[in-house]
Amino acid sequence: MIRAVNLIMLIVVLAPVVVVMWMSLTPTAMFVLPITQFSFRWYREALSYPGFVDAFFLSAELALFAALITLALCFLAVYGIVRYRPAGAAVLRSFFTAPLLVSAVVFGIAMLQFVNRIGLYNQFSGLLLAHVVLVVPFAIRSLEATVRAVPEELEWASMILGRSRANTLLRITLPLCARGLVTAFLFCFLLSFSEVTTTLFMTGPSLQTLPVRIYTYMSDRIDPTVAAVSALVVLVSLAVVVFLNLLGGFRRLDSQG
Amino acid sequence: MQDRRIPAPWLFAAPLILVMAIGFVWPLLQALVNSLHPNTPQGIDVTQWTFGNYKRLADPFYGEILVRTLRISFAVTAITGLLAYPVALYLARLSPRAQSLVILAYISPWLVNTVVKALGWTLLLRTNGVVNTILLQLDIVSTPLKLMLNETGVVIALIPGHFIFVLLPLWAAVSGLDPALSWAAGTLGARPSAVFWRVILPLTLPAFVAGLVINFIMNMTAFAIPMLLGGARNMVASMLAYQVNLITLDWPMGGALAVTLLALTLAIVWAGQKFAMQLAAGRGLRP
Repeated sequence: MIRAVNLIMLIVVLAPVVVVMWMSLTPTAMFVLPITQFSFRWYREALSYPGFVDAFFLSAELALFAALITLALCFLAVYGIVRYRPAGAAVLRSFFTAPLLVSAVVFGIAMLQFVNRIGLYNQFSGLLLAHVVLVVPFAIRSLEATVRAVPEELEWASMILGRSRANTLLRITLPLCARGLVTAFLFCFLLSFSEVTTTLFMTGPSLQTLPVRIYTYMSDRIDPTVAAVSALVVLVSLAVVVFLNLLGGFRRLDSQG
Repeated sequence: MQDRRIPAPWLFAAPLILVMAIGFVWPLLQALVNSLHPNTPQGIDVTQWTFGNYKRLADPFYGEILVRTLRISFAVTAITGLLAYPVALYLARLSPRAQSLVILAYISPWLVNTVVKALGWTLLLRTNGVVNTILLQLDIVSTPLKLMLNETGVVIALIPGHFIFVLLPLWAAVSGLDPALSWAAGTLGARPSAVFWRVILPLTLPAFVAGLVINFIMNMTAFAIPMLLGGARNMVASMLAYQVNLITLDWPMGGALAVTLLALTLAIVWAGQKFAMQLAAGRGLRP
């Protein structure tokens, strides 16, 4: 019985993603069921629609910068917390993971009113700030495990041999964390790349990320072109997920989340 | 040595603290401050302070939206709760390798953005969609079912959307149990159902409740799925927030909505945590 429940649940969880990929291969302009022939024409259509192509590059650029900035900020903060164990460590950790408690809608409203107030409405930097804050909790959790796994003795050895702490951090600790850093980077990239709600609340019409562009397109009409671009998004996401899994990233995230 | 080491951790954390202060604390405070000013045709009147925006929330129009939001969220969380235990118990019995594969299958759709999944559900649930086509072909129904642009569609699409928030903590709790507990109960004559109700359930209840709480607030604040599968006629809180902030541009009211939603979710999280801790304490467990 419990096996059947698991199977049904798996189907239900995977169904929407599979259906989008399947439907994107229809040769006709309407989704006529059953689909017996397959064609890539809607992919060509999607890739020649500038709205989607521009939005893809904006999303990729945003996710790249958001992940890199978050990684740099969080690595330093986590190093400080893990190595020095300051009295306020617990408070700092709760502060950095607090965005998890604020729903995307609430944060989107707050961001909308904030970027308008300081004149960053419809600016890349405003979006970037929001995406950094959104992925910080995940980076903190995943990097904390990474830094903890580095034996402190190796840093002591390096410092006894005359390297400064900064030099040790750069030449010893950072390389030892490489795998964890790549994992955290991919995870942050994917979360930013997939973010919909906050971005939708705070962006103007001329600065739409790919998920937001798909959303606005879909509110107007549903055709195979939007299915094709969605299928491409799924492929990008799955590629990152497979990579993450190869790095063993999920075990680390599961145990913490 | 000691006095030189004290400021170091704060120095390392300072850049992130600064970014979080500007990008997280300030925006939330900005929305709070805006919500305490009246809205005028010329914009926000910052010279006046008022609770008027919150008082307007008592209007039956908002009450109806809140009740619908809670109804949908509760339905989703209840069904999720029923489904999560069988799946977690099944998972825990698999080999570690199989477990991580199945978990990956549950996690990967979560990492695909919601809009794409909403598109998938639309293609599945609409009148001439996949589900209705199959049901008609198999003669299970004679006319297509109305599966979307109503609350049913929202509930159907939200269940798998937020399933892992219950599954992951529950799976961790179930697979963390000492198998000797179940064997001991079995050798003492307990049937499998008794082992579940008397041993497994009490020991994993805190994790289960914690997962349900997160699931509930995720349902309460979901946006894209209710919008695209429920339609404008089945407005929930997040859609109202969108309308007020981006269509009617009444930011003081929008701020009040944000603050209220935030307070509501924090209250639910707090109560849920207290409840889970009490459960744990009641069973002689550490929280």
